[in-house]
Amino acid sequence: MSWLTIIAGAARESASGVRLLRQQVRRDGRLRRLGFYVSLGLTLLVSLFPFYVMFITSISPDDAIYANDPSLLPEAVTLKQYTVLFSSETFAFTSYFLNSAVVAFITAMFSLVIGVIGAYSFTRLEYPGNTIIRRGVVVVYMLSAITVVVPLFKLISVLGLVDTRLGLLITYTVSTLPLTLYMLWNYFESIPVAIEEAAMLDGYSRVETIFRVIVPLSLPVLVATFLFAFKIAWNEYLFASVFLKSQSKLTLPIGIEQMNANFSNVWGQIMAASFLTTLPIIVMFLYLEKYMVEGLTAGAVEG
Amino acid sequence: MSLGERLIATGPNSYFESPVERREALLGILLILPAVVLIGAVILYPLAYNVYLSFTDVPLNPNQSPQWVGLSNYVDLLTSGQFWSAFSTTVLFTVGSTVLSTVIGLAVALLFDRQFRGRRLVRGLVLLPHVTPIIAVAFVWQFMLSPLWGSIPSLLADLGLYSSRVGLLQRSGTALPMVIVFSAWRNFPFAFLLFVARLQAIPESMYEAARIDGASAIAQFKDITLPELRGTIAIIVLLRGIWEFNAFAQIWLLTRQVTTLPILAYRTAFANFEQGLGAAIALLLFVIQILLVIGFITLFGEDSV
Repeated sequence: MSWLTIIAGAARESASGVRLLRQQVRRDGRLRRLGFYVSLGLTLLVSLFPFYVMFITSISPDDAIYANDPSLLPEAVTLKQYTVLFSSETFAFTSYFLNSAVVAFITAMFSLVIGVIGAYSFTRLEYPGNTIIRRGVVVVYMLSAITVVVPLFKLISVLGLVDTRLGLLITYTVSTLPLTLYMLWNYFESIPVAIEEAAMLDGYSRVETIFRVIVPLSLPVLVATFLFAFKIAWNEYLFASVFLKSQSKLTLPIGIEQMNANFSNVWGQIMAASFLTTLPIIVMFLYLEKYMVEGLTAGAVEG
Repeated sequence: MSLGERLIATGPNSYFESPVERREALLGILLILPAVVLIGAVILYPLAYNVYLSFTDVPLNPNQSPQWVGLSNYVDLLTSGQFWSAFSTTVLFTVGSTVLSTVIGLAVALLFDRQFRGRRLVRGLVLLPHVTPIIAVAFVWQFMLSPLWGSIPSLLADLGLYSSRVGLLQRSGTALPMVIVFSAWRNFPFAFLLFVARLQAIPESMYEAARIDGASAIAQFKDITLPELRGTIAIIVLLRGIWEFNAFAQIWLLTRQVTTLPILAYRTAFANFEQGLGAAIALLLFVIQILLVIGFITLFGEDSV
């Protein structure tokens, strides 16, 4: 239960951090500042320690990983885990990685195109049902995949889409749509209507306005939305585990899980594979920093 | 007059005042159509189909049609000990991980409620547990907790807190607390983000006034911060509650010792191939989910949706 103690400690410390903020004139300010940095350090330690373990294990030789006395610092550094990962006959890491990349990329493209026209329709055009559909999208966002996976699998088998990429692409596109729509309509609402009116006076049609005025104006948000959809598809486990059967089509989450299930004591390779799976998402989120609040908390932030 | 009212008052023919309006409305419907069709086909239709499946016995052969068995799946479920034990595990897991992730999220948000160098970078790093692939973080936790090679058991052993050779994830007594801690670790950044945004919106003048009145830091937190955060706390608890109740991968990939309702549904449908029974569990999950969503809407008003 030491995690709990650490966490409870962090909670206590952070409360004192606030007091520090509010009362910086106090004489014991220096001590309080120390408390603040200690609790900040603890927060970072707890958040990042698993990533550290992941990376360190992936560059350690096997005898260091399976030592009787696990060490937190690497004694020797090797790239063997990675070379085994890429040259393995039984474990097609490269193919899993490419499958994931292709599925996530196409999903994000679909989601973006359908999302842009849908979100535009919500924010700029008036028709019966507009508000209801919009609210429906938010309700759908709250639903979880587990409640539809049984009937969906039945439908997918009837349609002959089991073990196809198309089956994944369709279901992934739909799972990303609520978030895509939400992020885009939030942004479109902030674009002044006057800009479009001017474009239409110049003879642009509505559809031309979307692609020649709205899209160029929203480029950063479109990139952020694309990356969020990519992330959802890249991380997805449940649908892929039910819909995919053949080795050559597996995505990373299923591939890594099979490696864990079929071999024992391959932690070095599993950690190397996990690290390579995590890396694109970390890089992406360093870029996305500015949009993270909206993207991660869509539906929960009013306004 | 809103469009809906106009439609009721005048009928569809004179519904729109001008051809331009009619064309705009048609375009609007056309543009939203792909999204509606897809969501309808992949979410709404399966939900309805699931209701039907839950009253049937689904044969293994996909070419044979399901056999109607009436309420028998539900009778089986509600009289089985397995279902009720999964139900109580789900409730424990949901309450535990929701409370823990909300409390930690609040604590970390309070810590961040000030200016310091590197704040944006640190905020980004704190979010990593929430955004990285579940497969990767679940396996690294499995590894960290493994009894032979894991750093956490060996750390605990050094402190004299733990001596068993049985893994924390392999014993059902400790697996549930571990899954709750893992979920809290993964999801506290969600609460943290919402709290940080809300804390920034509390006017500093409220605290200044309280300080002039001589209110202590604890009193300021209790009388200003907490009341101002009440709505945010409710939103976080409800959303996390809905999601944790239906959590699948974050439990399944960490340990097979914890059986919640989503895991029971998955096992029943895809390991035991009793899809009718699985559909019944999924439907019960859906009903609970919808009750929570309705709770959400009544609490925050339709406008929040």
